[in-house]
Amino acid sequence: MNAELQTGVDYTRLHYRGRISQIGIYLGKLIRMFVYQSDWKVLPMAALIAGLVTFAVGANLYKTQEGTLQGSFALVCVCIWNGFFNSIQVICRERPIIKREHRAGMHITSYIAAHMIYQMILCILQTSIMLAVCMLMKLKLPYEGLVTPWFLTDLFITLFLITYSADMLSLAISALVRNTTTAMTVMPFVLIFQLLFSGGLVVLTGTALKLTDFTIAKWGLKGLCTLGNYNARPMVALWNTIFKFRDLELLGYKPIGMIMDEIQNRDMLDEVLLASGQYNQNAAYVYTAENLTGCWIRLIGIGALFAVISVVLLEFVDRDRR
Amino acid sequence: MFGIEISGVNIYGSVSTAVMTVGLWKLFEKCGQKGWWALIPGGRYLKLGECAGREKDGRICMVLELGVLLGEILSGILDIASRATERIALLLALGSLVFLIIQWIQEIKVYNGLCSTFAMGKRWIFAWILAPFIPACLWGFGERYKPVNLGRTADEDHLAGTKPAELKAGSAGAHGGEIPAESLVIRLKERTVNDFFKKRYLLKDISLTIPNGSMTMLLGGSGSGKTTFVNAITGYEKADAVMLLNGRDIYKEYEQMKYRIGFVPQQPLLRMNDTVNRTLEDAAALRLPTSVRPAEMKERVRNVMDTLGLTAGQHGLVSKKSGGMKKRISIGMELISDPDLFILDEPDSGLDGVIARELFTRLREVADQGKIVITITHTPDRVIDLFDYVIVLARDSGRVGRLAFFGSPAEARSFFGKNTMEEIVMAINRREEGGEGRADEFVEKYAALRDDTETAEKDGSAVKEAAEDEC
Repeated sequence: MNAELQTGVDYTRLHYRGRISQIGIYLGKLIRMFVYQSDWKVLPMAALIAGLVTFAVGANLYKTQEGTLQGSFALVCVCIWNGFFNSIQVICRERPIIKREHRAGMHITSYIAAHMIYQMILCILQTSIMLAVCMLMKLKLPYEGLVTPWFLTDLFITLFLITYSADMLSLAISALVRNTTTAMTVMPFVLIFQLLFSGGLVVLTGTALKLTDFTIAKWGLKGLCTLGNYNARPMVALWNTIFKFRDLELLGYKPIGMIMDEIQNRDMLDEVLLASGQYNQNAAYVYTAENLTGCWIRLIGIGALFAVISVVLLEFVDRDRR
Repeated sequence: MFGIEISGVNIYGSVSTAVMTVGLWKLFEKCGQKGWWALIPGGRYLKLGECAGREKDGRICMVLELGVLLGEILSGILDIASRATERIALLLALGSLVFLIIQWIQEIKVYNGLCSTFAMGKRWIFAWILAPFIPACLWGFGERYKPVNLGRTADEDHLAGTKPAELKAGSAGAHGGEIPAESLVIRLKERTVNDFFKKRYLLKDISLTIPNGSMTMLLGGSGSGKTTFVNAITGYEKADAVMLLNGRDIYKEYEQMKYRIGFVPQQPLLRMNDTVNRTLEDAAALRLPTSVRPAEMKERVRNVMDTLGLTAGQHGLVSKKSGGMKKRISIGMELISDPDLFILDEPDSGLDGVIARELFTRLREVADQGKIVITITHTPDRVIDLFDYVIVLARDSGRVGRLAFFGSPAEARSFFGKNTMEEIVMAINRREEGGEGRADEFVEKYAALRDDTETAEKDGSAVKEAAEDEC
């Protein structure tokens, strides 16, 4: 046995594993969990959801303003869903173990850092799978990127950051609650908050509008719409609405129907749709690299904030009652 | 007087703050603290708390004062910025008010402690609350105001003048005889919790010394505070106490000492989907010092697995192991760091007699290596022959965990007039639990016995000293 393990030594001179070294220990544990605990199941689940979403809203994604908004929103939902499911239970399910290990010398920062790295790998895999599914389902995407030269790279980074920041939010919830039941009860509420306050589909005003700044969904949606050049897409909602009135008679004529027929006969529909798009510009989705990187920075900031919150919350694990 | 203002400055407030700062400066110096802390908002409460022996309350006061200060600043900024933010400013003001109320409550606690430190009457608390600059100045500058209970520590308060240094080798033990240098010394005055601002006692007056190389059984009925007691020993949930392990203060040197203490919880808290060997290897990496080389670490893991009979299934998942095996893995995780003090909370729960006996035999071997093993068990009689000492904790009529006995198993039988350990537990258990409800009787009996022993020891020492003087 090592001499330093015996009694009579000056314990104050002994050094134990530091934070960096402990990250390796816990990362190894998490990777083994991935294999033995079937944590890999989240990967085919991501593929399945991506397939469903592509099937449902993929046709008009990055073709029209409405399709871009709805498709982007659906993609954001998928990313948040994936992120939430990745880590909602990972801490709370082993809270008593963390308490035991914390008293044996575990650093909470190392534990959370290991989770952050592991979840990052998981999110990268999920995002890659999502994009692969989209490609397999022949989703037509633009070629030119906004920040990087390739659209696919920009899309990958955006989807990854949405998934990862949702993952970190979920990690913080898992660090807050005491058991998996509570975690799964809280999760839907947070999910609803994220989707409701995304500021995309539901029109919000006043204080409610300010709340959107704190959601991952808002910055994710803004990023995806910016990347998809929302403002340059044609608007079809106006045409579709007017189309419903085409048989409206005024003084024995059908003026709306006549104008619409004329536009179609002259093959000017695309031009009209683009023009209506020009009248429906959204300043939030302006097609600039700064706008997109701004969204990325905010998503990174949200992720980092929740990671710090996780550490702070878990530092109180010793106070858990038996 | 209170409303006098010159150019918008509250004269009374400014003067009283200045006077109080000067008074506190002197008061801190009297208490051996740096005087300039009086200048720092929040920081003054921190030091006041230390002077009062109420560090925690002082810290809370500091945080609250800073919170109130921040709230006031934010309210001011918002007020200037825009009238539209009135609702937010109001919210902040309300928050500040709540902080202020809590701060007053904490301040009272601090001032109460300060009165004890300066041996002054409790009525001074009112003076501290209403006009703090008066007592601050009086106590700071007045010659007759001296801190008499300064540095009030658990040992001084509760060991009747015995300082930790004196608890080391050579001093009189609480249970008679000299305290060996290599031992666990427990001097616990109280372990309390706050229930809605009311202090509730969990444990009280437990004093004993366990020598190295011994195995001790911790007995007591439900709610007698066994787990609370072991948590207090390990320093995990600190009590108002002094705990010395081989002459080192567990509480004061917790960061180092925690690696010398192994605690096996009641439930085997393990990651089920990990292999046995990796579980132990990770535990070794976490608990062993960095100076232990990887090869030595692996060797140590192998030894522990051999000792606990885990080698055969080491590559299997923990989830696939039986309850007994999981217990052994849990024990192995702590044993791997070769702790000086090894505490096990019901290691035999859920195990049949043969396996439990085998487990305790292995623990006896650990104790024989010069370690201290303390075990809680609810089936004591099947393994009592392996133990050197018995600690009996009882819940008295005030629902406080008290020491009802500490000694050898044979002494315990004699003290309680019972033949088995289970009968002893029944004797101290409450009547509604099917016991005899004699906890108070045995607690008092043991306290009297302990006092008699200590008196006899003191008399013996005095006689011995007198004889030596005469010589």
